[in-house]
Amino acid sequence: MTKKNYITAALSLALAVAIMVYTGMNFLAARDLPWPEQGPSVTDIKLLSDWFPGLKDTNGDTWVYVLQGQKPGGKMLVLGGTHANEVSGYMSAFTFIETAVVEEGTVYVIPYTNHSAMTHNDPGEGNLQYFTLQTKSGARTFRYGSRATNPVDQWPDPDVYVHFPSGQQLSGSETRNINRGYPGREDGNLTEKMAYGVASLIRAENIDLTFDLHEASPEYPVINATVVHQNAIDIGSEGCMNLLLQGIDMALEQSPINFHGLTHRELGDHTETLAILMETANASQGRLRGATTLNQVLGGWDDCYVVSQKLNMLYVPWDENGHPIEERCGRHLQGIYEYSQAFNNAHPDTPIVYSGVPSYAELFTNADPATLGGAHLGSFLM
Amino acid sequence: MSIELITFLVMVAVFLLGCFLCKLPVSLSMVLSAVAGALVAGRGIPLRHLVEGMFSYVDTIMVIATAMIFMKVIQESGALDAVSCVIIEKFHKLPALMLCLIMIIVMFPGMITGSSTASVLSAGSIMAPVLMLMGVPMLETACILAMGGILGMIAPPTNLPAMVIGAGIDIPYSGFELPLALLTFPLAFVFVLMFGYKYVKKMDYAAVQAKLNNEPRKKFGFRVYIPLILAIVLMVLNKLVPAFSLGMPLIFLIAAAVGCFTGYKFNVLKMAKESVNSVLPVMGILMGVGMFIQIMTLTGVRGLIVTACLSLPELGRYVAMSVSMPLFGAVSSFGSASVLGVPFLLSFLAKKEIIVAAALSLIASLGDMMPPTALAGIFAAQVVGMEKYTPVLKKCLLPCLMVIIWGVLFIVFANELAPYILFT
Repeated sequence: MTKKNYITAALSLALAVAIMVYTGMNFLAARDLPWPEQGPSVTDIKLLSDWFPGLKDTNGDTWVYVLQGQKPGGKMLVLGGTHANEVSGYMSAFTFIETAVVEEGTVYVIPYTNHSAMTHNDPGEGNLQYFTLQTKSGARTFRYGSRATNPVDQWPDPDVYVHFPSGQQLSGSETRNINRGYPGREDGNLTEKMAYGVASLIRAENIDLTFDLHEASPEYPVINATVVHQNAIDIGSEGCMNLLLQGIDMALEQSPINFHGLTHRELGDHTETLAILMETANASQGRLRGATTLNQVLGGWDDCYVVSQKLNMLYVPWDENGHPIEERCGRHLQGIYEYSQAFNNAHPDTPIVYSGVPSYAELFTNADPATLGGAHLGSFLM
Repeated sequence: MSIELITFLVMVAVFLLGCFLCKLPVSLSMVLSAVAGALVAGRGIPLRHLVEGMFSYVDTIMVIATAMIFMKVIQESGALDAVSCVIIEKFHKLPALMLCLIMIIVMFPGMITGSSTASVLSAGSIMAPVLMLMGVPMLETACILAMGGILGMIAPPTNLPAMVIGAGIDIPYSGFELPLALLTFPLAFVFVLMFGYKYVKKMDYAAVQAKLNNEPRKKFGFRVYIPLILAIVLMVLNKLVPAFSLGMPLIFLIAAAVGCFTGYKFNVLKMAKESVNSVLPVMGILMGVGMFIQIMTLTGVRGLIVTACLSLPELGRYVAMSVSMPLFGAVSSFGSASVLGVPFLLSFLAKKEIIVAAALSLIASLGDMMPPTALAGIFAAQVVGMEKYTPVLKKCLLPCLMVIIWGVLFIVFANELAPYILFT
């Protein structure tokens, strides 16, 4: 090796180390997550490991916000952040925690169901890491995470993922998708343990009604939809009709019996809860999307999807107005309200009654269009 | 002209300039191309994205490095010579059957692991000397290995691109076995006979026998085969017993470690260093490709390409699919399955989706023959000892076209085929 080679090698190495330190600090900072402020009804904040100690001191442990009503009643669980790149899922959970006044019953809210997934981004997807909203207390920064558990916490993936207990086979990367891991396993991998933790909470607290909040790419067939376990079909039907009557386009689907690992199938099969999953449209996670921008994530504005709409490739109408975060959170929050009302009609002795959470109309239809795309949602947050 | 199109053109131009004008390694050219794309799109030099993109292929890189170590170990220990002797001795009287058998052996690791690289570097490296001893020229041997690797990764039971495509619209990986078998095995037998039969049928067994190195068999007996048997057993266990899921890198390393004690002695450290050195350029390319795809997605170039392909009318869509999926596979066949396979499947939803997804996975697999990554082509050339892999790609052009036509026929007639090949 010549002297010149040594100098080049040393310089390359120094550059590599510098990049490593810089990006390493950036990736480590993503583990410091923003959490909801304590809303008027928050009576306790617990860890999921309080129900399943196997999660203690892992990156899968996550905060559970308990909103205890003044009167006893039914129990409801809201799962946000099952997929940490589905923004309206966890932002709806934040909004619920910070605004809800629970009068009867108890509501448990998990903003980051897959806590680990919130601490990284998907390689190859070029996603945002953070976004900032102006709230009542000033600027607050929120994370944009990944669909799956951080590989730093669970790696490597097997070639093929075999779901427990059904034996269903899926692509190996689905091993880190918590919504393919239910009902979970006490001695499984971290993702299965997180799923087991959620199922343990449901069993221990006798949760009556569970909501799992999602977003999907506009070209995904199950979108603007509610998927319910067969045990929840009556509540689903009544709630869905009420949503349609308010002009909210919502399809109702029964959970397929042969597709395993998802909340609406496994939590319904393996616990006593009535499991409901809702999907709304997010442009930033699709394969047909254009460049990554804040407007795409929060406003749902994307020119590529306008083109795809003209090609009839989408399962949700798309135009230049996009689908702003206020509309997406509004759908979820109004959905929770209508389905819980339907539950109350069916179970008048154990109602879940709350107020204060912004409705679809307050968040979206009655809003000044100029404030859509984050600013209006921020105005409801503490 | 949109900013996405300008960005794409700049990325391609910088890549070509780096490769051909500045004679830079492909990996560095891809890094420069990614940086240029980000700059043109107004994203500065996004270090976080470049490093994050690089991590897309960490698992593949580990499979490649460990498979290469395994391959060197079975070469150095004498296992390769021993296996060659046994196969030729037992099957030389039935050349066509022997070729088909060899093809199945080449495909086997891919069928189990879903990786063409695993096929070419493990079973491919074992079968290459057998084929060459029987008179199949180096180039044709490399072509058999490359096509065997590709078809092996698509053949059942494990087909990762089909799983990726299916997961995009929530189809469980079930009922794919027969369509995948029909998509792959007939082609595999045609290709191996096409490339090898005319040489093997006139094989002079006495002359071949004289060239065989029988010494490892005599000296070490059964134990010389142990690393190979162990690798096969671990791969099968990996598939059949989920609790035993070791992963391909560990399987290759365990088998390689055992191989150090079952045949000739050699310097392990030197061998491992040589192995990793020989695949460093490919590993570098994969890292560069990871950055490239991340910047393409970040800047909207990926969306531009996908939308442009889907904008075509139905006949044009078949053409776009046949061209764009293998081309995008130059970046990664799994990436092609995910980015293009899912939208194409959605665009053909009126047809039986399992057959369409299976056929799309076959077309996406050709990405492993597309430069600059061309994993199957590069490793096949490397295994047979060729300096350049481009002749392999040229020679495989016709089989690749046949693969595309076969895949398209399955899509066109998916509904007609369904009653006979779908049982779910």
